[in-house]
Amino acid sequence: MKQSLASVNPGSVVKVSALNYENELFLRIQAMGLRPGINAQVLQRLGRNLLLKLGNSRLVISKDLAKMVEVE
Amino acid sequence: MDLPKIALLGNPNVGKTSILNELVGARLKVGNWPGVTLEKREGKFEIDSQEVYLVDLPGIYTLYSNGEEEGIVKNYIFSEKPQLLVNVIETANLERDLFLTLDLISLNTPMILVLNMSDEAKALGVEVDIQKLKDITGLPAVKTSAKTGEGISQLKKTIKEALKNQPLPNKNLVISSQNLSKPELEALRSNQIKSILGEVYKTNPPKNTLTDRLDAILIHPVYGLFVFLAVMFLMFKLAFDFSSPFMDWLDGFFNSFLSPLVGLLLGALPVSEWFIKLIQEAIIGGVGFVLTFVPLIAISYTFIVFLELSGYLPRASFLMDRYVQALGLNGKSLIPLLLGFGCNVPAILSVRLLERERDRLLTMAMIPFMSCPARLVVFAFFASIFFKNPAVVIFGLYIFGVLMAVLTALILGFFIKTSEKSYFLMELPPYRLPSFNLLFRIVWVYVRDFIYKAGTFIFASAIVVWALTNLPPNREQSQTIAAQIGRAISPVFEPLGLGDWRMSTSLVPALLAREIVLSSMATIYSPSLQQQENEEFKILPAIKDQLLSLAQAFPTAILNTLKPSSSAFEANSDLEPSLKKEISKHISAPSALSFMVFLLIYTSCLGTLGVLWRQAGPKYTLGLFAYTTILAWILAFITYRLSSLIIS
Repeated sequence: MKQSLASVNPGSVVKVSALNYENELFLRIQAMGLRPGINAQVLQRLGRNLLLKLGNSRLVISKDLAKMVEVE
Repeated sequence: MDLPKIALLGNPNVGKTSILNELVGARLKVGNWPGVTLEKREGKFEIDSQEVYLVDLPGIYTLYSNGEEEGIVKNYIFSEKPQLLVNVIETANLERDLFLTLDLISLNTPMILVLNMSDEAKALGVEVDIQKLKDITGLPAVKTSAKTGEGISQLKKTIKEALKNQPLPNKNLVISSQNLSKPELEALRSNQIKSILGEVYKTNPPKNTLTDRLDAILIHPVYGLFVFLAVMFLMFKLAFDFSSPFMDWLDGFFNSFLSPLVGLLLGALPVSEWFIKLIQEAIIGGVGFVLTFVPLIAISYTFIVFLELSGYLPRASFLMDRYVQALGLNGKSLIPLLLGFGCNVPAILSVRLLERERDRLLTMAMIPFMSCPARLVVFAFFASIFFKNPAVVIFGLYIFGVLMAVLTALILGFFIKTSEKSYFLMELPPYRLPSFNLLFRIVWVYVRDFIYKAGTFIFASAIVVWALTNLPPNREQSQTIAAQIGRAISPVFEPLGLGDWRMSTSLVPALLAREIVLSSMATIYSPSLQQQENEEFKILPAIKDQLLSLAQAFPTAILNTLKPSSSAFEANSDLEPSLKKEISKHISAPSALSFMVFLLIYTSCLGTLGVLWRQAGPKYTLGLFAYTTILAWILAFITYRLSSLIIS
């Protein structure tokens, strides 16, 4: 089932399937480790942001950016 | 300078600075990247008596995005053409870091790989086959842990060989990005990373790491706030209450020991009294003025650098983001702003912990509005003369300052354009206990930088202020250049209810620091109040006194820190009541209020201007000085007019 990363509940682990990107910002997001094929765990939702765990790194990303990330 | 140049490159928080520190040691230097307030760390070291230059480039994740750090990195690589790139990789995050590594490989220039933080990787159950990594990339690679010192000598050896052999990456990894669209490039990158990782990387992650456990509390939406407040309280206590006895001691050392001592020695020589005064007050006083900041800066820096290296700072901005995002600020901006209530000088120095240029510029503009103890002393003096409830007036002034800071951020934010929309994208590194060596090395470098760069500005300006208030020599206060300036500018202050030339004259020496306005008023309004210190100066007892008071500073510092309240909010004015009487004869309550507002808003502090000059350059400093002065005038004018209506 495809959904956006922004709607994932804390604690769940999802697999990133695509980044629906428009600009170079999404290149940076991939370089920071959020890439198609990778497993992401949503650790926390706070204010306008999400905290993700990607492998051994932790990434904070705004919900409006996470909306463009497709997960399954 | 034709030294071979080596550039350290890597993602943020991978330990580049500790590698730099291990290699260059005491020759570490800090500066700014040209045109921005972003910090540059660099140094030199020797390889077989050949000196090489090493620079720590800003941490980035990819060359191909358009942020300010990426711009600096690309500009450095393409225009300075370093002989060797040293790509520092956080071993446990090899998968993420390989993205940048492959970007760099595509540059096809000599490069080596450093797998840093190997101790951390081991604890996380990560194993990297370094030999295979070398084979695949064609590049030399070293395993290091800057923390334990592992692999550092091996790294030096590898750098030495690489400078000679100029190792280039395997051609089959080099992607020429020009012929590819972004999705194609990304897909290719992704495949490259997967295939490399499959060969070299093994992991068996533990369930619950220390970082997981600490995060459960430190970034908890509720507990985390309490921890943040506690951390801020501790920072404030250490920065101001712990350092104040040492600052007092330094002040005493220069003004009540060194200055009379030099006076005594010079008095034996055939030199004019005026020359002795110049040495005693301008030179020794000026150096003392700069150096009294040192304990404050050293201690607040130690705390801030500790927070930075420990990994707490990005969490503070994650946690506080929702409270400050409306202002277009970063959560981390709260740290410099809060420090500002204790002293604007370390507050401005600490904006370096913010990543974005925009955040740094906005925060630096807000800090001077945070009312500090120097202002409190003045407020307490005037408010107690003219108002029944001085505490209410003073509290009102603090709040007013904060409101003006917010207003300034909103105005300036409108002008500082940003290509980046207001999103939040940041890594939270694992918690790390910084090594003492690195912590103290960095703090020492900052203190040295303050003394050399900001200190020279402050010292030179202090001498100018001294000259203004003491020249022409041997004249009364009312005849000095300062008094002449005071008379000349008094019409400007007339609409603020401050037309008395003595008020405007007292603002000249107060440029040094605001609290000086009181002592200068004392000398101008009632020269008779001045007490000449004619106590005889005896060398041996004076030395004993100095040692004794230094020894006392330590327990006082500890007691201060343990007190629940902060001395930054205690005003003890030791000025005689007779000055209060004298002042109340000459000015009215609305004038006093207008004067307090003027002094609150206008940047009358050489220390602040000095560090702004160092951090943001002359244009920004002078611009902010002009802005605060004009704003102060307008606000004082409004205050005077309104309060005249209400009070009289």
